[in-house]
Amino acid sequence: MAAIAMPRGFGRGALALVIGIYTIYTVAPFLWLASMSVRTTTEISFDHYAWPHPFHWEQFRIAWVDSDFATYFWNSTWVTVGAVAVVTLVGAAAAHALARYRFPGNRVIYGILFSSIIFPPQITLISLYQILVDYDLYNSLFGLMLVYISLQLPLTIYLLEGFFARIPQDLFDAAKMDGYGDIEIFVRIVLPIGMPAIATTLILNFIQLWNEFLFAVVLITDPEKRTLPIGIRAFMGDHFQDIGMIATGVMISVVPVILVYVFFSEKLIRGMTAGAIK
Amino acid sequence: MTTGVNETAAARADSAPPTRSLADPRRTTWVVLMIFVAPALIVYGAMTAYPAFRTIYDSFFTIDGSDVSFVGWSNYRDLTGDETFWIAVRNTFIWSFVAPILDVATGLLLAVALYAGVPFARFLRVAWFTPVLLSYVVVAILWMWIYNYDWGVVNLGLRAVGLGWLASSWLGSPNLALGALIVTHAWKWAGFNMVVCLAAIHSLPGEVLEAAELDNCGWGAKLRWIIVPMLRPTLLNLYILAFIGKMKIFDLVWIMTGGGPLWATETVSTYVYKRAFNWNSFDLGYPSAIATVWFCVVCAAVVILNRLLRSTERLEY
Amino acid sequence: MAVVRLDRLSKRYGTLTVVDQVDLTVADGEFMVLLGPSGCGKSTTLRMIAGLETISSGNLSIDGRVVNDVPAKDRDIAMVFQSYALYPHMSVAENLAFGLRRRRIDRAEIDRRVADAARILGLEALLERKPAALSGGQRQRVALGRAMVREPMVFLFDEPLSNLDASLRVNTRNELIKQHRRLGSTMIYVTHDQVEAMTMGTRVCVMNNGRVAQIGAPLEVYWQPADTFVARFLGSPPMNLFTQPLMSDDGAYHIDSPTIRTPLVRWAPAALAPMAGRPVILGVRAEDLHLDAALCGDPVHGRLRGRAFAVEPLGAETLLAIETEGGIDCTARLPRDIRVAPGEMVDLCFAARAAYLFDAETGRAIPSFAP
Repeated sequence: MAAIAMPRGFGRGALALVIGIYTIYTVAPFLWLASMSVRTTTEISFDHYAWPHPFHWEQFRIAWVDSDFATYFWNSTWVTVGAVAVVTLVGAAAAHALARYRFPGNRVIYGILFSSIIFPPQITLISLYQILVDYDLYNSLFGLMLVYISLQLPLTIYLLEGFFARIPQDLFDAAKMDGYGDIEIFVRIVLPIGMPAIATTLILNFIQLWNEFLFAVVLITDPEKRTLPIGIRAFMGDHFQDIGMIATGVMISVVPVILVYVFFSEKLIRGMTAGAIK
Repeated sequence: MTTGVNETAAARADSAPPTRSLADPRRTTWVVLMIFVAPALIVYGAMTAYPAFRTIYDSFFTIDGSDVSFVGWSNYRDLTGDETFWIAVRNTFIWSFVAPILDVATGLLLAVALYAGVPFARFLRVAWFTPVLLSYVVVAILWMWIYNYDWGVVNLGLRAVGLGWLASSWLGSPNLALGALIVTHAWKWAGFNMVVCLAAIHSLPGEVLEAAELDNCGWGAKLRWIIVPMLRPTLLNLYILAFIGKMKIFDLVWIMTGGGPLWATETVSTYVYKRAFNWNSFDLGYPSAIATVWFCVVCAAVVILNRLLRSTERLEY
Repeated sequence: MAVVRLDRLSKRYGTLTVVDQVDLTVADGEFMVLLGPSGCGKSTTLRMIAGLETISSGNLSIDGRVVNDVPAKDRDIAMVFQSYALYPHMSVAENLAFGLRRRRIDRAEIDRRVADAARILGLEALLERKPAALSGGQRQRVALGRAMVREPMVFLFDEPLSNLDASLRVNTRNELIKQHRRLGSTMIYVTHDQVEAMTMGTRVCVMNNGRVAQIGAPLEVYWQPADTFVARFLGSPPMNLFTQPLMSDDGAYHIDSPTIRTPLVRWAPAALAPMAGRPVILGVRAEDLHLDAALCGDPVHGRLRGRAFAVEPLGAETLLAIETEGGIDCTARLPRDIRVAPGEMVDLCFAARAAYLFDAETGRAIPSFAP
């Protein structure tokens, strides 16, 4: 595979230069943000690109305690974790049935569930707002969680159906002969064997919901119930000049994502690109 | 839960002619199927299908709180004369059709660069993918600062190399704002396209590239004559994905420019949001009509693109 | 007593008939091999016996009980799959025990059976491993062990050796024969490999196009093929067949053409009389052909003439392919020391008793005296 000849001489230098510049282009903004998150706004206004000196770690404490980012963080955590857990289970069950069993309408159901992946969110946004208001779920984290479950359902089913369909039928036949029923087979064979794909789906759903903005901004107005993305946005609206504190808040929202990425980068990349690779 | 069925089946077995039992392990009872599929269908029905239909239904009404009145096609008629809507459509289309070319081309070139065998390819792949994971809120805030007139790195850089006269208020100028947003969006997504292209290149048969090598192809020629044609299905797929994403674009625009200045970056999504929740127009019917129209446009565009771009037969290799 | 009876068993998918009225009785303790090319319906038949495929019509009984509508788990059957179907997330021990846990067998008994199977199959050192860490042969033994611990009335095997390499296949074949002898259970074994069928089967059931072509002891099927399909499917290289008119000469029947001539000594004249003058199919096995000029001249023997086009020395023997005048290719299995150059005209002779005759229309063998 690696036998392809490297470009030599000038070409090689130019390639290295392009790659270097592109790497700076992708990574530097993020490092800049990180540096600002441990500097005070006064320091930043003096020089936006200076190295933090000293490191003001207390910025994080201030953001966490005084600027309500703790509230936003826990709201995000609860909504995201709850929605991810439910959508993965619901999606896995449906994906298993669609991947394994032959029944009339199988592909139709799959098509219906999956096609909503292309829907522009506005088609449900306005009505969901009305519906949640009707059922007293407006401005409620539980209501937001329900919406999030539906948002991630098509992707979850798509990813898991593809994986489950590749589990050899013989395993199911063997389990059937061993006396296991349909639901036991799902719990004791499909879920354990599907763990790698399920983990990928979990991580992917987590990141996408953790970052979700549109539905949160429409469905949550109570400051106490804001998730991180709308919390940051609201904070920025109120304290437009407080760059240091905004940067700190942004870092708080980014850290979990980066942590997940550090540990599961391959899984995550594979999951996110699974739909596009043919 | 199947035991009841089994007992009766066994009891009958001697006398009755063979009936359809559930021996085929790829079939099961409706009860079992429902246990697996019903939760998903309920979620879909309640949170996707019902709201979608309700939006379409609402688009024939004027809805101001509890004050609902039927107006027929009037919302749609208003829409045809709504200048802001047409500006939003134009902006969204520019973004949806043009920007994906930028995204996919960048992704492909980066992928080829990594495939050409630079050191640390694995690390670079992970690093370049990072922006994909950042939320639009984070990306938007970061790039608002990058574009800042006084101390943003873009203007600082221009001034430093003596091109100070080019320094602009990137997000504040109607002529530049849309371009600035498109660049930001491309920054976030290039890594995604890169990874997909890289995977596709790796799945190409190595012999073909080696054969090209023997035919004395340089990297440019290889890219033009071998890689691009063979990756055609992947590239088209990426284009369609990017297209769909951009038809829905909201977060980035809303935070960075709010659709301004002077509607220069207004997209259909931001316009729907404004009409429904932001302006004090107190009517959910009209934005529902916009959403309905846009829903049809997106679905039609996806179907047409799929037809147009995939009509050519798949390459065999 | 675990007699498995298939009574006009059929499987249809829509208008497509995959298994067509199969009648087969597998005696208690018998090792029955279902043999046939891919797509002949043998695997579908096995899966119907297993309860993994619905029966379209006909009856299946095990131990005297009709089990058409009895679910797989209640048929007291164990199956070894071609892919082994080991649960990848469970250790070998868990794989062995998995089928027992469901059957309300107490723990001590499960442990005992797992330990027994592991000892017999030499899996003791591997019990804690996952299937991914096992070699092909080891996986095969685990799959067999998983069936054995169940102590079923009937064992089913679906091409269990086809994923093994050649040398391992021989070992495992012997292992299976040994286990069959030890357990004395009824076993039904599906394969497309005639060597497996010949060496392992108590009886062989040859299938073709969803139908039973012939059932019999391995050598019986080999030496008395019921039709041209069986004749060609068993034997490597396959039996040589020639369509020739049947000549009669004062009540003595013979074949006589430039390509091939032979007296027909194994058939009663009365049996051949109705076909006189019409074409029949004459068959000769490759190993019955000899390169011997003296014998070829003698009209009591059969003789075959053609142009050699390929000589394949295999070491222990040499295969000689010739093209006869009628354009029919024919292969002879000859001693290793023969010297024939491609392009040369050769005469091959065979004992008149080694000839087979089949009806040209039905392909069925024309009954003869004892072979």
